[in-house]
Amino acid sequence: MAERHKVDARGAFCPGPLMELIATLRHSQIGDEVEVWSTDKGSATDIPEWVKKVRHELVSVNQGNGYWSIVVRKAK
Amino acid sequence: MAGQPLYILLCSGEREKLQIAAMMASVGAVSERPVELFVSMNAILAFGKDAPAEVRESGGTFARVLKEKRAPDAFTLLRQGRELGDLKLWACSMALDLLGWEMERLVDKLFDGPLGLTKFLSDAESGQLVTL
Repeated sequence: MAERHKVDARGAFCPGPLMELIATLRHSQIGDEVEVWSTDKGSATDIPEWVKKVRHELVSVNQGNGYWSIVVRKAK
Repeated sequence: MAGQPLYILLCSGEREKLQIAAMMASVGAVSERPVELFVSMNAILAFGKDAPAEVRESGGTFARVLKEKRAPDAFTLLRQGRELGDLKLWACSMALDLLGWEMERLVDKLFDGPLGLTKFLSDAESGQLVTL
């Protein structure tokens, strides 16, 4: 059964949130989702671009409470 | 499918250039691009195992800001790139010769070995070369 992992990367500078996402995906199962919280302004564009390039799935990008929440599903 | 290889020739020892080189190398490597970073000239000094802070933190405004904000250092980023992607680091053999350094003088477990510029440039013909 797919799981949802959370990565609280608030306060980390670029490319920290992306690196934490990748490290978490590496230890996840296909179909699992990883939700990254980031205060890095670049994450909202960088993470979706990375997801597209390496062919995972972008589930959502939301901003609120001073940070971005980006959800990625492991596709491979 | 692997993207076009990225080759980075790092000569400057300024913190800002070390940082952007490490960022480009690590992000490129985790984005399915093979990356090779060739470290030469003043940059090799910052990779010395016993390099003092004034060497590793030299530079301009951003060297100071990176330190004040406690941004992850270049070595941390490079280790992440190596762990999570296809990233190789080479120490310029001429720079080592000029300094009289062996590989043991460099930061542990970061470099793949010494390399000559001719070999690096030859390999770089297959991809994109960035000089910093």
